[in-house]
Amino acid sequence: MSNNKEFAFFPGCVLSQAAKESKMSLEAIAPILGITLHEIPGWSCCGASQAQCVDPIASLVANARNIALGEKMGMPILTTCSTCMLTLTKAKNTLDKGAKDRINTFLAEGNMKYEGNTEITSLLWVLYQNLDTLKAKVVNPLSNLKVALFYGCHSLRPERELTKESSTNPKSFEAVVEALGATIVPFEKRLDCCGFHASYPAGKSVRKMSSQIVGNADSNGADVVVTPCPLCQMQLDIYQERYQDENNSNIRKPIIHLSQLVGLALGLSNKELGLDLNIQDATRLVG
Amino acid sequence: MKIIIERFDGKKKYESTYELRIDEVKGQTLLSLLQYIKRTQDITLNFTAACRMAICGACAVRVNGHSYLACDTKMEELLEEYENPESMRISPLNNFRVITDLVVDWEPSIENLRKVKPTITPKSEFSEKTGCVQTQADVDAIKKQWDCILCGCCASECNKLEADASDYMQPFVFTHAYRAADDSRSKDPMIHLKPAIANGLWNCVHCQECVDRCPKGISSFGDIESLRVMAMKKGLNEGMGPAHAEAFLLDMVEGDGRLNEIKLALRSEGVLANTTKLDIAYNLMKAGKMNPLHIFGGEKIEGHAELVKMVEAARKAEKEGTIK
Repeated sequence: MSNNKEFAFFPGCVLSQAAKESKMSLEAIAPILGITLHEIPGWSCCGASQAQCVDPIASLVANARNIALGEKMGMPILTTCSTCMLTLTKAKNTLDKGAKDRINTFLAEGNMKYEGNTEITSLLWVLYQNLDTLKAKVVNPLSNLKVALFYGCHSLRPERELTKESSTNPKSFEAVVEALGATIVPFEKRLDCCGFHASYPAGKSVRKMSSQIVGNADSNGADVVVTPCPLCQMQLDIYQERYQDENNSNIRKPIIHLSQLVGLALGLSNKELGLDLNIQDATRLVG
Repeated sequence: MKIIIERFDGKKKYESTYELRIDEVKGQTLLSLLQYIKRTQDITLNFTAACRMAICGACAVRVNGHSYLACDTKMEELLEEYENPESMRISPLNNFRVITDLVVDWEPSIENLRKVKPTITPKSEFSEKTGCVQTQADVDAIKKQWDCILCGCCASECNKLEADASDYMQPFVFTHAYRAADDSRSKDPMIHLKPAIANGLWNCVHCQECVDRCPKGISSFGDIESLRVMAMKKGLNEGMGPAHAEAFLLDMVEGDGRLNEIKLALRSEGVLANTTKLDIAYNLMKAGKMNPLHIFGGEKIEGHAELVKMVEAARKAEKEGTIK
């Protein structure tokens, strides 16, 4: 990030609605870190790990189109949503492993073509690849803040699709947060699933899973849970009162986006980072 | 280094710690290490193993909370994965009842396998004389699923099973259901599909642990997805799971191109159930994170008409059988 890095930005649906503070904070930290984001015009929903269960060919075509739109911009595609990253990456893998020509016959209906020459990456991964630059920009080391790091499934798994790092013993998130100077607490649930994708059909199980994550972070002394995935953030934040009540727990914990934590270390205000929009109060993390 | 093994004597849990030199650990498989400990340090240690060549599935255990097929796992690889730790913790598979030490009870899982009837009833056109011939493509479609050796690694790490196993089966059971349902020789895929739906097909949480833990590279999550697609094609679309998944597709193609969160909630569980979540909706609206006017729809994305044309062309080709 020492030189300006430009990305074709794929926000994903959640960033314009229930996790708008994720987009706000990303757009606040990006210029400081030398990142320029160009939103992909006309991007569509990726299907969010759901639509492919109904119509896999429609999902593949839509994501081939999304990637092709990014390719036309001539820069890597960046998303902060782990599920978008996984869905786009899986589509890219399918296309590159033999489906490209067949799917291109459908993209031709809109005068588009998938080439297969663009990388798909995430905010977490870009920060991990540029730790020195990140460290150099920290003006407010977060050593007084005890954080529990929650990766979120689709940041890591399936390892053979994402191929970024070990899903058994990952390092990227810890390295990024160490660069920010924060104190990382032990957190046994850091690789677990919040259950977001089954929150409707398997609600009771999901509320229990989410509650255990918040409880585990608390019992390890965390002030806050941080996640690179806006869907995990939403699941753990928005519904926290309800699932904690249901599981007879009075623990309440702020859940923040990775981009918000980075912003705090870069000296940005609560307002600039949208911390006042989080449902569980996250405005008193830094004094 | 220390090898800590979680033990169970049928009544109480405890742990045993074995001190080994690093040269006693390196060069071993996880299974040969267990056998070495039993032979040289503790004859009372119980575990199961048979083939030693990754085809029987008997020796799966967990190391540091992740499942591995012991005979197929080199200790050097584990040392590298965990960065040469001073100790490693070996425990029985998770989400199984422990009988003793590292030995778990498979009977409930086998009962679940029975539910999905993993053997096929051949189509009437086959006979003793003509046999049950398949094309290579038909074999290839289910070849990977046949590799499942019932080791239980996927079930051990399944986040849904850990939360509640009462409405969900082990991931490998869905793999076997799909293998039987998608077999071109099968008389009726419904025999396998219906019990899969009745036993939690739509309750998978998408954690993908089953994909990463399978020593054979099988994706039970992928098989769950394939069973869901099969169910939708056959009109078995009742319930919150299908409604929720369908809502995303509707917004993507028939809608504006992007997810409409208000419609998603209403489509997934209906108006009545959503009235119990008005407090959550209010909080989101107050924070500017939900626009109530979206109930009337939003603005179509740029190029949406072209997206629809592309999807329709693909659907047409699929219907005509020019693609699978």
